[in-house]
Amino acid sequence: MLSLTTHLMPLVLAGLLGWSGSVKLFRRDTVRQAPRTALARMLRSSGRAALVLRAVGALELLLTAGLLALPASPVPGAATAVLGAGFLAYLGYGRALAPESSCGCSANEDTPITWRAFARAAVVLAGGATAAAAHGAWWSTLSARPGGSLLFLAVAAVVLTALSVDPDRWWLLPLRRLGLRVRGHPLFGTGRGDHVPVAASVELLERSLAWQTASPVVRSGLLDHWEEDGWRILLYSGVHGTRKEARPVSVLFALDATAGRDSPGEPVVRVSCVDADSGEPVAQEVLNAVPVRRALPTVG
Amino acid sequence: MTYRQNDHRGPGRRRFLTTAALSGVTIVGATALGGIDADAAFASEPSLDPAIPESSFVEGRITGITGSVLQVAGSYGDHARVRMTNATSVWKARPTTAAEIEVGDGLYARGVPMPDGTVAADAVWVNIVNLDTRIRGIAKSRLHLSHGRHEIVGHVLPDTTNASYAGRALTSDLSRLRIGQSAQVLGAWRPADDSVDIVRISVGH
Repeated sequence: MLSLTTHLMPLVLAGLLGWSGSVKLFRRDTVRQAPRTALARMLRSSGRAALVLRAVGALELLLTAGLLALPASPVPGAATAVLGAGFLAYLGYGRALAPESSCGCSANEDTPITWRAFARAAVVLAGGATAAAAHGAWWSTLSARPGGSLLFLAVAAVVLTALSVDPDRWWLLPLRRLGLRVRGHPLFGTGRGDHVPVAASVELLERSLAWQTASPVVRSGLLDHWEEDGWRILLYSGVHGTRKEARPVSVLFALDATAGRDSPGEPVVRVSCVDADSGEPVAQEVLNAVPVRRALPTVG
Repeated sequence: MTYRQNDHRGPGRRRFLTTAALSGVTIVGATALGGIDADAAFASEPSLDPAIPESSFVEGRITGITGSVLQVAGSYGDHARVRMTNATSVWKARPTTAAEIEVGDGLYARGVPMPDGTVAADAVWVNIVNLDTRIRGIAKSRLHLSHGRHEIVGHVLPDTTNASYAGRALTSDLSRLRIGQSAQVLGAWRPADDSVDIVRISVGH
């Protein structure tokens, strides 16, 4: 197993570096993404950051070729390990300098530097060191033990995919969707029958003529709410009168506790204004003057 | 009969207010006008209420609380003092009281400028956030959301989290949320761990 790992590691690294290198070098996104990377903050220039990203991409492709063509030579493996160490140092520095920046690891990622980027760089470092110690050619191992090799490569591919943020939507979201289908929706049963949430009553109120009528008086947001005898009472505070005659008032709305915006018919709301200190009804003239501006009737 | 507004949560006051509410004017009809509740913190339309233009708006982080006055450091380097009154409404994921407000909370407040330089708040929304997200995971007590490049944990609060599907009325039934859906989330940010308490999630809008 150990020799299998050692001999096939160049192939795994070539796959990883070949993919990330070609993305960095050839994708147009590199220029678009460069300003968001920690590299741009370090170099204080998006243009320079894009150039460095492309250069690193080219280096990764060069190492890919070296790993594939010269498996017996320790040079490509050692160079890969150095690149991995460089990635780790960059990620550590980037995380400290600009934790919100994208790492630019594959140039089409748009996520901040996370543990996955660190783990991937560590794999490059460890894999490079392993490949440098390899003496045999990967193709001879592949032909000698095809079954074990394919299994190893498949596992390596899964691990690297899990460590890459990009393919999330290809595996993580479908997997979670499948999980919901198998286990059932975890939020099933959260709805309490035909219970109308308070927020829905507020929504209905705010679209009612009663709200429009009382709005010159209302100043606060929802202060309190409670239910009594099938009514939902919504309490607001407000001010009635101007200048020296201004009085603090409580504005009360009473709605059918089972009515929502989707209920048929027009909303029916009882409105009342009482003086905040004396409790006497006030602002009757405001409430009796229902504005003429109403919603246009819908033709059925 | 005497009545004091700051006691509005007592059972006796509620009974009195219920009677007052039910004896009020009945108004039937709908209008297309919006309101001044939680959403209004983000509303850009000018209000038709003639009283509102007198109001001023304060936004920022609470750096200190002295009695009923909140010291607020604005996002643009400005400072303000917000005075809480008995009539001030406080929203922190739900209608609550000023006792729930903590130093470090974010704040949006609407109120009237006073001669002493404070703003007497009519309404205060604490830690309110409005996010354009995508649902990436659903669990029993939380949703995993992505907002641009950020992964956000959204807590599902019993009796508080509501959903709106395809522009329909709010419901407490959250079982129609799907992974991959784009969702507008109105909620309360938790400064301690940068997560969000979901108050309203709108999908299919």
